[in-house]
Amino acid sequence: MHPGKGEAESAGVDFPRLMRRRFVWLVSLAAGLAASVIAAVLVGTLGPIGPGIPEYISFREAVGAIFLQEGDWPSYFSDVFWDVRIPRVLLAAAVGASLACAGTAMQAVFRNPMADPYIVGVSSGASVGAVVAGLMGFATIAVIGALITPALAFTTALLTVFVVYSLGVVGGKVYVNTLLLSGVAVAAFLGAVVSVLIYFAGQQYHRIIFWLLGSLSLASWSAFAVVAIAAAIGIVLVFISSRDLNALLLGEETAHNLGVDPEGLKTLMLVVAAVMTAAAVAFTGVIGFVGLIIPHMVRLVVGADHRILVPAATMSGAIFLIWADTAARTIIAPTELPVGIITALCGGPFFLYLLRRNRLAGEDR
Amino acid sequence: MRLEVKNLSYSFGDKKVLKDVSFDVRPGEFMGLMGPNGSGKTTLLRCIMNYLGPPEGSILIDGQELQGCPPEKLARTFAVVPQSSSTDFTFSAYDIVMMGRIPHRASKFAGPSREDADAVRSAMERTRTWTMASRPFFALSGGERQRVIIARAVAQQPEAFLLDEPTVYLDINGQLEVMDLIRSLNEEEGLTVIAVLHDVNVAARYCDRIALLSNGRLEAIGPPADVLTPEVIQSVYGVEVAVRKDPFTDAVYVMPRSTVAPAPRHGRRVHVLCGGGAGGPVLKAIADAGYGVSTGVLNVLDSDFENASDLHIPAVPEVPFAAVSDAAHEENLRLIRESETVVVSPFPVGPGNFRNLEAAEHALRSGKRVIVLMPGDPSSVDFVGGRAAEAIKGLIRSGAIEVKSLDEALKRLQGPSG
Repeated sequence: MHPGKGEAESAGVDFPRLMRRRFVWLVSLAAGLAASVIAAVLVGTLGPIGPGIPEYISFREAVGAIFLQEGDWPSYFSDVFWDVRIPRVLLAAAVGASLACAGTAMQAVFRNPMADPYIVGVSSGASVGAVVAGLMGFATIAVIGALITPALAFTTALLTVFVVYSLGVVGGKVYVNTLLLSGVAVAAFLGAVVSVLIYFAGQQYHRIIFWLLGSLSLASWSAFAVVAIAAAIGIVLVFISSRDLNALLLGEETAHNLGVDPEGLKTLMLVVAAVMTAAAVAFTGVIGFVGLIIPHMVRLVVGADHRILVPAATMSGAIFLIWADTAARTIIAPTELPVGIITALCGGPFFLYLLRRNRLAGEDR
Repeated sequence: MRLEVKNLSYSFGDKKVLKDVSFDVRPGEFMGLMGPNGSGKTTLLRCIMNYLGPPEGSILIDGQELQGCPPEKLARTFAVVPQSSSTDFTFSAYDIVMMGRIPHRASKFAGPSREDADAVRSAMERTRTWTMASRPFFALSGGERQRVIIARAVAQQPEAFLLDEPTVYLDINGQLEVMDLIRSLNEEEGLTVIAVLHDVNVAARYCDRIALLSNGRLEAIGPPADVLTPEVIQSVYGVEVAVRKDPFTDAVYVMPRSTVAPAPRHGRRVHVLCGGGAGGPVLKAIADAGYGVSTGVLNVLDSDFENASDLHIPAVPEVPFAAVSDAAHEENLRLIRESETVVVSPFPVGPGNFRNLEAAEHALRSGKRVIVLMPGDPSSVDFVGGRAAEAIKGLIRSGAIEVKSLDEALKRLQGPSG
């Protein structure tokens, strides 16, 4: 009864083949991620690939500026790559990975493929902190190295999550539906607060809006370090919980029967996702859709098993945000768009397409 | 696995849901937990799977206290099958069954091993779900899904199954399929089964013993035939039922009686000649229409005799498998004299009960109204080589009213008997 190669769809599952296929997926994504980082570093207003504004340079010059101290090119080439471009691409990767991984975890905890990393109030909380920082005269949102805004945004994001979490917990038990609604209510309230603050923002108005739409222009090595550390810890914790997340999706009673502690798991995932997301949002503002569509899309391709889904979605999120940011900074060079606009422009229609395709496929079964 | 429940009580806040419940489940037994909604059966099951906080009293698994049992060990002891499972996520059936291997993994980092894959495959073959392994779980039918969930439970390699109304959302086909599968796992693999069941007849058919709960107390426990008696069911569920034996499986079979109040009595009397089960609907319809009904002569093991006693209708009895005796025949004629109408139902006429047709002839001769209910040809009820068909035709020739349906018979009954 062993299924032949072609008929795996109709009968049984060839276990070694399944494992091989997953391995191939992960290796391909890792290779794609490495290739994306390298390519994106070379694309830009200064680089061998890109709009060539203000300056078009050759591959040899670019590679030389990255890897050699001296050469027959201006010394600022090296500074542009090492101080701006490389940390920015790496930050995009770390933020994309954080959002996609946190989104995957949130969708499992809420047992709802429409959940995203901001569902428990991270974005609205961070926005309040960032806007307050802007108003208080730390008018430094676009200034590299200013850590006050991110610190404040990070703090208010986690405070908000704590409030939402407290509202969703009754007698030590996490009620995800209450949590969801608490998140919506708190986000609406904080949204109003942000609007009021923006109303009085005056000169800071443009910068605040730019932050709210999400941008990687604040990238720096220190920003990358903070986000990368949060992402690394978070991704590992979500990955080792992946089989438990699978069980949770069949219901809490079933999860419990399989030896999983549903309450502990939900709390751990909420905390991990909130910290990862808050760290990312603090430095980049609110970048939408990555945490929603990437897990969703990857699930359609590799299936819902979190053992493969978590690493695949994490790497896909990184790749996606690298290219979205590359587009954001080159499309209307020399100025740049907030990357959140790009992700929403790609994400919205694509999400609708997936939804429709899935709906139709589901209906005629 | 031997399960002992000792003086178990459980409260949700102030509400006591289980009150001092004690029983045990023997290794390899199929135990049904039954009771009306809110009687505490699901709470009892959840206490056994340690899903709720610590209860009062104790639960012992092979002599060991359940409280403090590590979750992984518990997961290898019990596999739970809920009422239904669904997910919005695109898990394949294979993924779902693989989840049963979670309690067997060495560490959180370990991926599925060859051994896990073998356990999943044999569980899926055992439950005939292997062919749907790569299909998305949400695209399967209710019955298929429940079989996949059972495969997941089998892959868990537990000592006992805990089932919470596993067939409540299935059609009759799915219901039998799933219950037969569980029964065969119970019989062939020696799995102990503890199942909350809603349907008394499903419970009667599959369980070795039934524990019946009412208001959080254990009302009765024992083999289905001992627990599912009309008296116990009346007291626990408040419904009037009749209990029979399924002629093929010997399982008891519970039938609810109408809870609709009968029409007001109006004192008019009808005597019904029946037998072999043909009289059931006739007796009930005429009694429900408010007539005083009697019947006879019926052998004591005849299903119409049981029908009559369930409806509290007086019947002239005869010993099982014997022909109608003179005494019984006289008694039958006496009941006919007290009635204004005699209804002849389409009952199978053999040598033993041919005298019941003679009783009808007697009634006609003595001026009683006789209604012959004969939907088909009289020869279809004739098991005496044409004599019965001839007698029935003779009745009609001599003035008996021939009707083709029960409704028509009831209409004619309403008319004056003169």
